[in-house]
Amino acid sequence: MRRLLVLLSAVAMFATAQGVMASAAGALKMVDIDSSEQARQRGAEIVVGTCMMCHSLKYIKFADLKEIGMKEEQITALLEDQDIDDRMLSLTPIEIRKESYGKVPPDLSLMAVARQKGPQHIYTLLTDYYYKSAEQEETDNHLFPGIKMPDVLAYADAESDDERAEIEAQAHDVASFLVWASDPSAESRRTIGKYVILYLIILTTLLYLLKRRVWSKLH
Amino acid sequence: MIKKVFAWVDERFPLDEMIKHELTEYPVPRNLNYMWSFGFLAMFILIVQLVSGIFLAMHYKADVGMAFDSIQHIMREVNYGWLIRYLHSTGASAFFALIFIHIGRTLYYGSYRRPRELLWWTGLLLLLLLMATAFMGYLLPWGQMSFWGAQVITALFGVTPFIGESVVIWLRGDFVVGDATLTRFFALHYLFPFIICVAVAIHLVALHWVKSSNPSGITLHAKDNIPFHPYFTVKDLFGLGVFLIIFFGFVFFAPEFWIMPENNVPADPMVTPPHIVPEWYFLPFYAILRSIPDPLGGVVAMAMSILIFLAMPWLDRSNVPGGAKFRPGYRIMVYVWFVDLMVLGYVGAQAPEGIFVLLGRIATFVYFGLFLLLPFISKREERRSRVQGLPREAERLIREEQEELLRSEHYLRRENDEKELKNIRKRLEDES
Repeated sequence: MRRLLVLLSAVAMFATAQGVMASAAGALKMVDIDSSEQARQRGAEIVVGTCMMCHSLKYIKFADLKEIGMKEEQITALLEDQDIDDRMLSLTPIEIRKESYGKVPPDLSLMAVARQKGPQHIYTLLTDYYYKSAEQEETDNHLFPGIKMPDVLAYADAESDDERAEIEAQAHDVASFLVWASDPSAESRRTIGKYVILYLIILTTLLYLLKRRVWSKLH
Repeated sequence: MIKKVFAWVDERFPLDEMIKHELTEYPVPRNLNYMWSFGFLAMFILIVQLVSGIFLAMHYKADVGMAFDSIQHIMREVNYGWLIRYLHSTGASAFFALIFIHIGRTLYYGSYRRPRELLWWTGLLLLLLLMATAFMGYLLPWGQMSFWGAQVITALFGVTPFIGESVVIWLRGDFVVGDATLTRFFALHYLFPFIICVAVAIHLVALHWVKSSNPSGITLHAKDNIPFHPYFTVKDLFGLGVFLIIFFGFVFFAPEFWIMPENNVPADPMVTPPHIVPEWYFLPFYAILRSIPDPLGGVVAMAMSILIFLAMPWLDRSNVPGGAKFRPGYRIMVYVWFVDLMVLGYVGAQAPEGIFVLLGRIATFVYFGLFLLLPFISKREERRSRVQGLPREAERLIREEQEELLRSEHYLRRENDEKELKNIRKRLEDES
C-alpha cells in the first residue's frame, strides 16, 4: 500500500511539473477542440485561403485532405497553380515573405504541438487582436505582444458580438484543422490502441490466473 | 524427431545444461514481491528500444538539413512509422522509469550489500551507459530542445581544468553543436546499445552467481528457494502484462506527453528557448548542477550525485540483516532521499529564480548530507538493535511467516506430501 502511494505521488509530481510548465504559457482561452470532419474541412479552407498567403504546411500534400473527408472536387477548388499531389506550400515568394516579416513565417504543419496547449494557443492568438489606439491604425496581440502577423481574421475590426462569434468559430476551425495536420495518424492510432489495450487486459487477466494456478502448487 | 535434434545439439553445446542452470533449476527466493520484476521489465524495454531503433535508423537521416524532416517522414509516410517512433520515444521514458524503480528497490531492500557489490556496480555502470545513450539519442530529432540541450550539456565539459575548451570542441567536432555533432551522436547512439547488451550480460552473470536478494534481506535456506521457471517466468509475464497496459496506454493515447512542445520546432541556433529543460529523467541531476554557484563545482556535484552510489556498500556499515524493512533509521533515510529526489526533479523543471534557487540548494545539501550521515546512522542503528533486538515489525513478519508455514503444513497433511511436510516441520522447529 505504501509502495503504491509512493508510486502515485511520483506520478503526481511529474503531472504537476508538466502542469506548471503549461501554465507558464499565459492566459489562454481554454476551448475544447472540435474533431469533426466538418470543422476540419472548414479549417482547411481558411488555412489554404488565408494562412497560406504566408505560411506553408510542408509535411502535408493537398491530396492528404481526403483523409478529413474532402472530395477531390473540393480539394481542386482550393488549388491555384498547384497539383493535387503537391505539398501545401505558400505561393508567395520566400523573399517577399522574408522582407515583410523579417523572417520566413513558421511552417504550420506542427504548430498544434509546437506550443504548450497548442490548439488553445492557436485559437487564442487568432482572437486576441486589438487596436492599440482609438484611431484604429495599429493592431497588437494580447497573447503575443509585438507580433508581426497581421490580424488576418479581422477580430479587432469586429463590431458586434455576432461578428466576434463568427470569427471565433473560424479560429476554432483553424485550430481543429491544425490539430489534425500535426498528427494525421492520431485517429487510427487511437482506434488500434483500443484493441491493443483490450487484448492486453484479457491476456494479463489470463496470465494472472495462470500465475495463481502455477503458484498454488507451492502452498 | 525434436528429441533427436536436442540430443544432437546437447552433444555439441550445453543447451540442456544451460536451461536447467539458468531457468528450470535456477533457485529464486519464493518471497520476492513484484518490485523484483523490474529488472526483467527493463530488459524487455531494452529489446523494444533496440528493435524500434533499428527500424527508425532505416528511415532516419543524420544530417542537420534533413533530420527534422526525416522524423516527420517517419511519422507520416512510413507504414506504421508513427508507431515505431512513439514506441521508441515512449520507451526511453519507460526505460528510465523502470530503472529508477529497480534502483530504488535495490536501495530500499539493501540489495547492494555483501555479496552483491559487483552486481550493484555493474548496474550503476548500466545507468551511466543508459544516460549517455539517451542524451545522444535526444539530439537526433534535431528540435529546439535537442539542439540547446546538447549545446548546454557539451558546454559543461568546458569546466575541465586547462583543456576545457579543446574537450568541448573535440566532443562536438565543431565549435558549436552542428552536423559533425549530429552524425557522431547518431553513430554512438547506435553503438552504445551493444555495449549496454554486453554490460547486461555481465550484470546477469553476476546475478546468477550471487542469486537474487529478497525482501527480508536474509539469505533464505535452500528449501525456501523455488525454480525460476515456471514460478517466476509466469509471475514476470503477468508483471509484463500490467506494464504493457500502461506503456501502450501512453504509446497509443498520449505519446506526446513525453515529447516537449519545443522539440516540435526545428533546431535554430539563432533562437534560444526561454528556458532549456532536459528530459524528466535528468531533472534531479540538472537541479544539482544548477544549485552549485561555481560551474566546476556544479559539474563535479552532478557527477558525484550518481557516482556516490558506488560507495553504498562502504557507507552502509550496519550488520543488521535485511534492508530498510528491519532498519528504522535507514528506512527514514531512504524515504527522505526519495522525497528529496522528487523535490530536485521539480526544481530542475523550473527557471532558476527566486525560491527555486534556495529550494534547490537545500535539496542538494540534503541529498549529499544523507550519504555522509549514512555511516554514522547505520552504525548507531546496529548498536541499538543489538541492545533492543530486532524491530517489532521484523518480529511480526517472522510470526506471520510461521503462521503461513503452519497453514501450509495443514494443507500438505491433507495432500499427503510427506517430503514437503518434513521440510516445513523442520523449519518451524528451527525458527522457534
